[in-house]
Amino acid sequence: MKRYVYINDDNLAQDIYCDNRISNRKYTIWNFLPKNLWEQFSRFMNQYFLLIACLQLWSLITPVNPASTWGPLIFIFAVSASKEAWDDYNRYLSDKKANEKEVWIVRQGIRKLIQAQDICIGNIVWLRENDEVPCDLVLLGTADPQGFCYVETAALDGETDLKTRSIPSACMGIDVDLLHKIKGVIECPSPDKDIRRFDANMRLFPPFLDNDVFPLTIKNTLLQSCYLRNTEWACGVAVYTGNQTKLGMCRGIPEPKLTAVDAMIDKLTGAIFVFQIVVVIVLGIAGNVWKDTEGRKLWYVRYPKEGPWYELLVIPLRFELLCSIMIPISIKVSLDLVKSLYAKFIDWDDQMVDPETGIRSNATNTAISEDLGQVEYILTDKTGTLTENKMIFKRCCISGRFYGNESGDALTDAQLLNAVSTGSADVIQFLKVMAICNTVIPVRSKSGTISYKALSQDEEALVCAAARLRMVFENKNGNILDINFNASPLRYEVLDTLEFTSDRKRMSVVVRDCQSGEIFLLSKGADETILPLTFSGQQVRTFAEAVEQYAQMGLRTLCLAWRKLEEGEYQEWASMFKEANSTLVDREWRVAEVCQRLEHDLEILGVAAIEDRLQEGVPETIETLRKAGINFWMLTGDKMNTAIQIALSCNFVSPEPKGQLLIIDGKTEDEVCRSLERVLLTTRITESEPKDVAFVVDGWALEIALKHYRKAFTELAILSRTAICCRVTPSQKAQLVELLKLCDYRTLAIGDGGNDVRMIQQADIGVGISGREGLQAARAADYSIGKFRFLKRLILVHGRYSYNRTAFLSQYSFYKSLLICFIQIFSSFISGVSGTSLFNSVSLMAYNVFYTSVPVLVSVLDKDLSERTVMQHPQILFYCQAGRLLNPSTFAGWFGRSLFHAIVVFVITIHSYAFEKSEMEEVAMVALSGCIWLQAFVVALETNSFTILQHLAIWGNLLGFYVINWIVSAIPASGMYTIMFRLCKQPSYWITMILIVATGMGPVLALKYLRYTYRSSKINILQQAERLGGPILSLGIIEPQSRSSLDKDLAPLSITQPKNRTSVYEPLLSESPSATRRSIGPAQRFDYFQSQSPLTSTHTRKDN
Amino acid sequence: MNASNPSSSAAGAGSADSTAPRRNSKRPKYSRFTQQELPACKPILTPKWVIGTFLLVSVIFIPIGVVSLFASRDVVEIVDRYETDCIPEPSRNDKVGFIQSNQSKTCQRTLRVPKNMKQPIYVYYQLDNFYQNHRRYVKSRSDQQLRNNGSLQETDACKPEDTTPDRAPIVPCGLIAWSLFNDTYDFTRNDQPLNVNKRGISWKSDREHKFGKDVFPRNFQNGTLKGGATLNPNIPLSEQENLIVWMRTAALPTFRKLYGKIEVDLQRDELINVTLQNNYNTYSFSGKKKLVLSTTSWLGGKNDFVGIAYLTVGGLCFFLALVFLLIYLIKPRQLGDPSYLSWNRNPSGH
Repeated sequence: MKRYVYINDDNLAQDIYCDNRISNRKYTIWNFLPKNLWEQFSRFMNQYFLLIACLQLWSLITPVNPASTWGPLIFIFAVSASKEAWDDYNRYLSDKKANEKEVWIVRQGIRKLIQAQDICIGNIVWLRENDEVPCDLVLLGTADPQGFCYVETAALDGETDLKTRSIPSACMGIDVDLLHKIKGVIECPSPDKDIRRFDANMRLFPPFLDNDVFPLTIKNTLLQSCYLRNTEWACGVAVYTGNQTKLGMCRGIPEPKLTAVDAMIDKLTGAIFVFQIVVVIVLGIAGNVWKDTEGRKLWYVRYPKEGPWYELLVIPLRFELLCSIMIPISIKVSLDLVKSLYAKFIDWDDQMVDPETGIRSNATNTAISEDLGQVEYILTDKTGTLTENKMIFKRCCISGRFYGNESGDALTDAQLLNAVSTGSADVIQFLKVMAICNTVIPVRSKSGTISYKALSQDEEALVCAAARLRMVFENKNGNILDINFNASPLRYEVLDTLEFTSDRKRMSVVVRDCQSGEIFLLSKGADETILPLTFSGQQVRTFAEAVEQYAQMGLRTLCLAWRKLEEGEYQEWASMFKEANSTLVDREWRVAEVCQRLEHDLEILGVAAIEDRLQEGVPETIETLRKAGINFWMLTGDKMNTAIQIALSCNFVSPEPKGQLLIIDGKTEDEVCRSLERVLLTTRITESEPKDVAFVVDGWALEIALKHYRKAFTELAILSRTAICCRVTPSQKAQLVELLKLCDYRTLAIGDGGNDVRMIQQADIGVGISGREGLQAARAADYSIGKFRFLKRLILVHGRYSYNRTAFLSQYSFYKSLLICFIQIFSSFISGVSGTSLFNSVSLMAYNVFYTSVPVLVSVLDKDLSERTVMQHPQILFYCQAGRLLNPSTFAGWFGRSLFHAIVVFVITIHSYAFEKSEMEEVAMVALSGCIWLQAFVVALETNSFTILQHLAIWGNLLGFYVINWIVSAIPASGMYTIMFRLCKQPSYWITMILIVATGMGPVLALKYLRYTYRSSKINILQQAERLGGPILSLGIIEPQSRSSLDKDLAPLSITQPKNRTSVYEPLLSESPSATRRSIGPAQRFDYFQSQSPLTSTHTRKDN
Repeated sequence: MNASNPSSSAAGAGSADSTAPRRNSKRPKYSRFTQQELPACKPILTPKWVIGTFLLVSVIFIPIGVVSLFASRDVVEIVDRYETDCIPEPSRNDKVGFIQSNQSKTCQRTLRVPKNMKQPIYVYYQLDNFYQNHRRYVKSRSDQQLRNNGSLQETDACKPEDTTPDRAPIVPCGLIAWSLFNDTYDFTRNDQPLNVNKRGISWKSDREHKFGKDVFPRNFQNGTLKGGATLNPNIPLSEQENLIVWMRTAALPTFRKLYGKIEVDLQRDELINVTLQNNYNTYSFSGKKKLVLSTTSWLGGKNDFVGIAYLTVGGLCFFLALVFLLIYLIKPRQLGDPSYLSWNRNPSGH
């Protein structure tokens, strides 16, 4: 499928393609009601309640007033629908904002300002510097005479460096005015989501050029949501618009997410439903048999001789309605309510406010907080998520002298400043290389301050640092560089640039000093490529040591070197270089070879160390979460080396003795296959060892692995706790999430850029960091936080509490419903199995709505352990991950408890209210009071921490029960007129209540106590330790220290660490190499109990 | 349970998050709620508290049990089962036939008073195996009709005893009223009639609010199929107390309903003659009929269940407390010992 875009064709109404309206909405005004109702009714529970409500309309079988089901049902639906409507309205508002942004386009040869949503395919769009690209464009012209422009694609692929885009050669040299009139046709593929490919071609119509076809690549495009930088203006023709842009296609349709807890509740509901059907069938048969054997003898019941055809169905259906309360209709309302409260707690949390920006955490999706507590895999982006996305020059070593070791920052090192001001030649030369040897573009703003635009963050860091050290790179005019050192201007002419490639791992420039006319070669690069190139005789040992030392601190290192060139040597080489540059075959290799001829006999000036700053608290967060049994995968669009380096510096992978890094690479299927199998084998072997094995895979190999060796890769994914995936596209990120989800893992994806949006939406939980790369990820995510370190709190505190609370609340809801339902069933045995309801409609409805829902709602304040304890013992999260608190066996416990309590209430009631006291309303009310008393004590027993609100809710609710019943008892028309007053005056009523409570709670308390003391779970132990102030807090648990202090403490230590670079699997591949992470001292003393493989943990989970 | 330290406001996330402002306990209530830091009391199940609780329960329950049992024992009760004895020998093979025939149903019973009985002595009739709570039965009544005169026609719920064949409403309609108990008892002591007061046996609230003063029986028991007792059509429903009592349906198939009160004391070993009309058919469903004379206590009638239950529960609690105490002494276990944490105990983690 192809599409033909006619450039600037106003006549041809191109409405075959969609307009540029972005829409993330789910509903329109018209389809809201039917679509929403349809969605709600696609849930089994809702269908069930509707069926019950309909059955209740048949008065022959209904035990109670139909309103008791219809009222709550309508209420529930209204609540859900209005929530959906509100969410959709907000989506509409944010779409509207984007759609109504104003852009310049060309209509009838004139530039006009229109709303972004009105852009049509074929329109020419004009952009100014720092404008956001409103749709996918093919470049036609820029302010730059060579036809270049710079874009920031961060929102798209997460890379923050500036990328060069150029206009197609066909448009080269077209005058600005003529651009308004340009005509032509672009043949391009149908919209797809590949942001790295655009295979199209363009033909301009005369008079611009003859009908030649020019190829277009992704280099010639400006994609939606990129920003135009460093370029005064650019214009392009719209080829994809609206939701069909590359970004829009990448976005995917978010599916509603269902938490594991919800799934479990649904499963349990299903089980209860089956149980209910069995009960109904058994009782229905029993009822019919009893009716025919005994019932017909009861003359006072007057069964007709011949019943209608449905007679056999009547009793089963009556029981169905009686038992329908087994599945609590209130559970959905209660869960929705508490879930939105969990979300509010996240929003309110003062400890998750980014202190720099003041951004609060926000839970966009209010329904999935429990899942946070059950996360097993975290898939994280790198740039901007783990790192701050800021490179800073930290230390340097110039001709054997270390600067910045004391203060931690070379820029404030007095010795260095002193050296600069005294004019130490080595230092000045070092600074010159820092300032010149790069491809940075200085930009002077109106106020006179200079900012730098760089393709590489490293270069920007170096130039900025040089400027701070008074070597200011002021201006770049063509090939002429203006440097200002100590207020004296220097001027250099760049003769050649020997570009950086990942093979060479270095870059050089050849410059001519404009004053002296001398020619220099200035180089910078990774140590392993620069150090061997020194002239014979230079001592490189100090530099190698410096590199080693810096790398152990997790700094990126660059070696800076120079050489003076003779005029003749240069000229000779320059011609070769020119020739190599114009070869057509193997150009890259040829150029590299030629470059090598010049880069020799260098004099090393020094080593610069740059910090790619991790966000505060990242290593601690990762360490804590890994202790909590969560596996980490890093998915980044960045280079492998950078990714590994970051991984090392943030505890992601352990350095060599403890960890092992296995690399899957290869360009062809065979290579990938072999490499994959080798890695798989190694992983299997090392599985039993307490070793952190991580695999590294790049996008290309991943593509092949996912396509052809999915099974092997899946196995590897299950075995390996850690993975680093580099150079992956947004859709590959999503595929990886999908892969883990298919293995039945709970995944959390965290990212900050537009390239993470798909993975965020795909994962069970998406977390967005509202960072530098805009808010796109944060908008698409379920949770947005300001900094990566808040993830710890989000999972360990909010996720865990939410899970615990929901686990209690849902099971309790079933418990109380089953309790009253069992009583109904028992009472049917003493009423001739005829389906009489012991309780009246008012009681039944109020039981679920008022009497039992309030105490349990305050369980949202319950904390089994204090936040502090959880943070100190993150392993406790295992209970949530494995679903230990809500699973069929815990549910069986609650089921048994409700059965036991029902027996207690029923037996005691009918015995103490026997004979002359066995009046129906009174007995019903005694039984009901018994239930209410018991449930109050059950909630009290299961509550871990009582705040004033809990006391109010539990005991106030008990009082409320009496108040409500006194009120109802005061209404003469009600069935239970005077009943409650009558009962409250009887001593036997109170004696019965006490008896019920003691009999019901005694065994529960005894069991709980035995369990608590002699079969205590880890949670219990920690509870005990916490409350009794035991020795637990002093037990060598390493409090995470703030990173800077740790660095300071460990830096001198780690210099003495032995080298570990001889192993087969070289973990360190970085361009600024050998960044062995500081080895963690005491923190490694104990291991984590989750180092069992994910496979075993799946087993445990299934077993429970 | 251990109502231990009201531990509030833990510092939270540890010092990694030390950049976040440290909270102190002086925060306003509202903020403490939003930060989930309301001061809380966190009881745990220490042996001391659990054993103490069980002991306390047993200490409270055993006396209550004893008192309840004495109260129940103090009640003097005469129960006379008569449904078989009141059928003449020859008819015992066909009890249903007898009860449905027109033969005289009069029957003489003699009751011996086992102990002194203080007035008021309640006269009950007890029916066994009678399902007043059967769904067809219990729903077959119209409260509106009973309450006010204007709602004569509200007989929908009363089927099949709602109207006469010519559509005139039956008042009181429904199966419950239709099957009104109609055995009667006359008591004599020493050949002196013993007066049974049949007023004030129903609930006052029923007389005043549930059964209308201006609602009179109509078309009652006029059908071909006669159920139970007939009602005097000239007495309003609010004064038909035997009906009111009967219409308070029982929750259990065995129940007693108040027939009347004897307002004189009875002496030990006195003989009371009862002349009863054995009209009510319990024979078709093999139900039992009993005549009960009973005094009352603060707990109600004679019912040993509560006392025995209290003694049992109290005893069991005492037993449990002892067992827990023994376990605690024999196998003490330190609470909150960190060595029980598997990740501390087992560093290899497997």
